[in-house]
Amino acid sequence: MIQLIRIMKTGFRNFFRNLWLSTAATAVMTITLTIILFSYIATSALTSTIAQVVEKIDVSVYLKDTVTVAQANNMKATLESTPNVESVTFVSKNDALLIYREQNKNNKELLAAVTPEDNPLPQSLAIKSKDVNKIDPIIAVVNRAQFKDFLQEKDPVSYTGERKKTIDRIVGASNFIKQAGLLASGLFVIISTLIIFNTIRMAIFTRREEIEIMKLVGATNWFIRGPFIFEAALYGVIGTVISVALCYSLVLGAGPQLGTYIDTQNITNIFKSNPFLIVGVELLIGVTIGAVSSLLAMSRYMKLS
Amino acid sequence: MILLDRVTKMYPNKSVAVSGINLHIGPKEFVTIVGSSGAGKSTLIKLLTREEVQTSGKIIVGGVDYDTVESNKVPHLRRKIGVVFQDFKLLPNRTVFENVAFAMEVSGAKNKDIKRSVPKVLQLVGLKGKEDNFPHEISGGERQRVAIARALIRQPKILIADEPTGNLDPKNAWEIIELLLKINRFGTTVVLTTHNKEIVNALKRRVITINRGRIVKDEEQGRYAV
Repeated sequence: MIQLIRIMKTGFRNFFRNLWLSTAATAVMTITLTIILFSYIATSALTSTIAQVVEKIDVSVYLKDTVTVAQANNMKATLESTPNVESVTFVSKNDALLIYREQNKNNKELLAAVTPEDNPLPQSLAIKSKDVNKIDPIIAVVNRAQFKDFLQEKDPVSYTGERKKTIDRIVGASNFIKQAGLLASGLFVIISTLIIFNTIRMAIFTRREEIEIMKLVGATNWFIRGPFIFEAALYGVIGTVISVALCYSLVLGAGPQLGTYIDTQNITNIFKSNPFLIVGVELLIGVTIGAVSSLLAMSRYMKLS
Repeated sequence: MILLDRVTKMYPNKSVAVSGINLHIGPKEFVTIVGSSGAGKSTLIKLLTREEVQTSGKIIVGGVDYDTVESNKVPHLRRKIGVVFQDFKLLPNRTVFENVAFAMEVSGAKNKDIKRSVPKVLQLVGLKGKEDNFPHEISGGERQRVAIARALIRQPKILIADEPTGNLDPKNAWEIIELLLKINRFGTTVVLTTHNKEIVNALKRRVITINRGRIVKDEEQGRYAV
């Protein structure tokens, strides 16, 4: 126990007496942890933005005004039993008007153009698919002969042809971005681990004589290693504090401004709801990189028995 | 206290550093080992501190047969032997007090005991008032005193001084030798290696002369003759 306290005390003392070296190592550690946290933020921001875009892709089927509610519900039931359909919502002429008013509440002229008495808006079925990649079978159901008379003559389905290709492209891009983001984060982690390993190795190289002296005075290997590992772990702890503080102030501070371009709500939520998880994971990564690097770097100087 | 029986050390490149050394050093002796550079002095010292392992023969120090010491017990062995080096080997980032205290810390001594013992030993070697200085702030003679204090703090039965005066001017060198004699009077066996002819001749103690890895002379009250 007293040995453990001494090891920690020595680690602290070394940290402050080699302040330049400690500052450099802590800086590299901070950068590493910030990069890791940032690639995580960027990947999940992109992923959730894409998810939202994809979510917005739903199929609307516009029906003739002559179609009764019962007929529409019949069609709705058929579609709901079709595979890959998440949900089908019936939007009546009145619902469509309410939506229209909500969307154009700031434009008086547009509001005045459409009244309940003279409502040109068609009734429709809004279909949400489980997988946007498999929309074609749903369209096939809509185009069945039994429903042919229900559909509006002009553009009955809210997208066909070209738009399908756009959706396909967005889906393809989202998968690519997810994979690229994961790969980039992985690469950053490897590169920064190497940099940290090298920094700690140099730190230990400058103190190899100290290690030799300690051995000659009769210190056990763990008594020598302990302070070095503790010191390197300390880089990780301080690096975590700085990088988390940095990322938090950035995300919570700049999030609202960026909200128009990308979906920051999701990130802000992650940050707000899991502070302990984020700090914990960062701490774990930082301390592990530090401790393992110093252990590896020291192994060659520990050989002198 | 120290017993070497037909000890030979051969390095991997087949060069023989010491060969067939038979040596007995009794308790409370003050022994000087002399020899020109490369004669095998350093190897002999390294065998005693277990920095090197002999190729053949037996080494028994303080009743411990080195053949039976496992490598993870070597630190415990070193704690029983005080060693002083030519280049002092002090920890540069620690104060005088901390350097001496380190020797006690490694063996798990209590803080209370450390606080009591270190000032006593520092006073013994004449370093009172230098406790908070770092090694680079004090003179070579003072650094060697710190090293001696560090060796003494664990009250070893044997003190090995490997050319302790090699880096010192004559005045400081003599002060260190006088300190070693004082320690010897308290009952510690001292093994000293040196190149300094004046010191050896003035000491009038047992002198062992080594040449080409062999003991060529072993005299009570010997003189420097290399």
